[in-house]
Amino acid sequence: MSYLMDVLRNPDGYFAVTPLSCTCAVFATMFFVLTMIYSFKHMKGVKGLWKYYTYLVLTYVATLGVLFSTTFMVLMVLWGFIGFMLYLLIGFGRGDGTPDAAGKALAIIGGTDVLLLLGIVLIWSIRYDGGTGLEGLFRLPIGNLGIKLNSTGAVIAYLCLASAAFAKAGAMPFHTWLPETARNAPVPVTAFLPASLDKILGIYFLAKVTLEVFVMNQAMNTVLMALGSITIMAAVMMALVQHDFKKLLGYHAVSQVGYMVLGIGTGNPVGIAGALFHMFNNTIYKTGLFMAGGEVERVTGTSDLSKLGGLAKKMPLVFAAFLVCSLSISGVPPFNGFASKWMLYHGILESGGRLWAVWLVAAMLGSALTLASFMKLVHAIFLGQPSELSEKAMRKIGKINFSTMIPLAVLSFLCIVLGILAWKIPFDDYFRPEIGPGFAMPGIWHSGIVAVVMILGFLAGYLVYMAGTLKNAREVAPFVGGETLEDHPDMRVSGVEFYRTIKNLGFLKSMYSLAEKQFFDLYEVLQKTARAFGIILSFMHNGVLSRYFLWFLAGLVVLCVVLV
Amino acid sequence: MMFLLYFLVFGLVVTIVMGLVTSWIDRKVTARVQYRVGPPFLQPLIDIVKLLGKETVIPAGAAREMFLFAPLLGFAGVVSASTVLWANQLHAAGFMGDLIVAVYLLTIPSLSIILGGFASGNPLASLGASREMKLVVAYELPFILAILVPVIWAGSFGLGDIIESQKSFMTAGHISGMIALAVAILCIQAKLAMVPFDIPEAETEIVEGPLVEYSGPALGIFKLTRSMLLFTLPFFLLVLFFGGLRFSGPGFFRTLLEYVGIVAILTVIRNTNPRVRIDQAVRFFWGPVTILAVIAVVLALNGI
Repeated sequence: MSYLMDVLRNPDGYFAVTPLSCTCAVFATMFFVLTMIYSFKHMKGVKGLWKYYTYLVLTYVATLGVLFSTTFMVLMVLWGFIGFMLYLLIGFGRGDGTPDAAGKALAIIGGTDVLLLLGIVLIWSIRYDGGTGLEGLFRLPIGNLGIKLNSTGAVIAYLCLASAAFAKAGAMPFHTWLPETARNAPVPVTAFLPASLDKILGIYFLAKVTLEVFVMNQAMNTVLMALGSITIMAAVMMALVQHDFKKLLGYHAVSQVGYMVLGIGTGNPVGIAGALFHMFNNTIYKTGLFMAGGEVERVTGTSDLSKLGGLAKKMPLVFAAFLVCSLSISGVPPFNGFASKWMLYHGILESGGRLWAVWLVAAMLGSALTLASFMKLVHAIFLGQPSELSEKAMRKIGKINFSTMIPLAVLSFLCIVLGILAWKIPFDDYFRPEIGPGFAMPGIWHSGIVAVVMILGFLAGYLVYMAGTLKNAREVAPFVGGETLEDHPDMRVSGVEFYRTIKNLGFLKSMYSLAEKQFFDLYEVLQKTARAFGIILSFMHNGVLSRYFLWFLAGLVVLCVVLV
Repeated sequence: MMFLLYFLVFGLVVTIVMGLVTSWIDRKVTARVQYRVGPPFLQPLIDIVKLLGKETVIPAGAAREMFLFAPLLGFAGVVSASTVLWANQLHAAGFMGDLIVAVYLLTIPSLSIILGGFASGNPLASLGASREMKLVVAYELPFILAILVPVIWAGSFGLGDIIESQKSFMTAGHISGMIALAVAILCIQAKLAMVPFDIPEAETEIVEGPLVEYSGPALGIFKLTRSMLLFTLPFFLLVLFFGGLRFSGPGFFRTLLEYVGIVAILTVIRNTNPRVRIDQAVRFFWGPVTILAVIAVVLALNGI
């Protein structure tokens, strides 16, 4: 209690402002405001709306607290509070899977919070050898500890802290709550926490712990890079075959974290700057994607890809925003996703080591696969032929929904502007202390010039159009070998099964079938193990007196053997 | 303002001219292989000009804006890729972008074909475009590995550095370089959607796939983009594996030989092979081709 009073009485001792935390806070504020605007329409008619908005505000305040806190204890308390808020917010979802998803998120995030506490205690004991008492534990600062990873305790402490960050950001192996949450939580909640604030918090904390608390060595960096690469590839492969667009986006929220972990693992300024830049870019386009998807769900009432299609005609603005965000996340120049990925690739090349080629290929192939899964989304939701459901929905669509379009416009504008201005951003000013002064970019990426050249290319192509016959364009029925599409509704290609070829490919086929059985899901595996223990225990405790007597005797024998 | 010069002169004019000439070579050689006379020199240009005069037809049910925007996207992509390559070829210091930028810009034409096909609202186009996407995913893995080999030899992503480091000894001279070059040629065969990897277009089966609904100027721009790629991709390989273009004396003939050699290989492959299925293509690229590419990378990392 006195500790709490102390925190409130002299906040200077517990909170401080750094350029990086300031940048994070600016973005967090932006997402808070955008989510508020977005929620007006999307949470209409939900019971307990005042509770919903209270939770949002509390989450936002706690996030600011985490970003500015300088002691581990304050950070941990607020960190756990945000996890709990996420649990409560997921509860506003209306799907059948909502309680399970909320429970899973709480179990994984809460479980890693315990690891976080363990890590903090370990650091405290390594640093002060317990000599400062509990007072020292409460005031343990984040930063300037310089703990070397040369003892088992230090390694365990680092892994504990990193797993808390991984679970929050959704990196493997603590990612499994994210796709479930994305599918079952209300869209504004997904856009607010897993897509933006949780990413900022997780990666901010990981960067801080990695760079300020510990002194990294090559082995630990390699572990980080390997985890990052696996996260990128495995999550994007899972995303490729999803049928529900919210779950698909959830898997991408996991996959993108891989890039950030990979970047921090490179251990050089370019890679770290790239990782942090990618974190901000990711929050921008991922929030945009979730919000655009949420609008589609609101209009059509479903997130099942096979029931959608052809919506671009009646939702051109939502489609444009979705397309910009998809191209950004796939790393198409000159959008922002490319700029940060470009920095990451340079970081990987500089990181040296024997395995840099592997990380580079994982990162670059991951981005091609991301493009593939977003092309599937673009086709199945917005392009292609409309399904029955989307035709019905398109007839209802009325005025532009500003509560969706304002956030989407802001986010897609940022995607373009940050991409084009990338070469002029002074990263060492915004990302201190993680990126020290005198940070220099290797290689060349004149994003502005390339953007101008691309625009000139567009103009040249447009002139060709103008010289041609565009003005008197005629509209005719599509050519399908002489058939008419209206008479054959079964000819519609929805796009859901675009990548079945890849799914059925030798080695991948068995991996996919294992993944479908949730073999790689730590939470499920642990739950199954626990259930197995339960079976054994229930066999032991069957309520029959003679069996309890048998155990009693067995225990006595063991005791005798040990004592004698 | 230097980039305006590169854009106008090299990115646009030279690339278009060279692309059309190359596509004439391709067609002429194909015709000779098949005991035909082949088209006159100006035929590729005449084809494009003719398309500009044809009527623009938009399918009912298409996403009109996207449908017309897609060809421009591809065109802008190939023009900027070519501009980046030229700028680095002629500007020793390096300019605008490096290898990664070039690789990403060179995927934009495929992206534009996919988006255009999707936007046309035709099931055949959707099928073709989805095959194109799978093809991109398939060849991207060996392609990335193959282009890593010059990066390993030069120790940098900079195109200028890659050209510079090959002044004395070109990448294709190493064993790893040769393997990587072979892999890269197979990959650009697929990037150009030439037989045996013309699966997305498969005229006999899905009537040119993503392009089925295109006509008039929009189709003309797609065809022009394809021709420009036919120049830009071999040029990209020249930069990576042969130390770029040389303009003086014997060097010029060497460059010409290398360039025509790559184009001839592409043409010969396309004339002597039947089309494969998409799953065969994915297996081919992720199987033997990737293994070859990995071998090349491992050899290069060990300095062979």
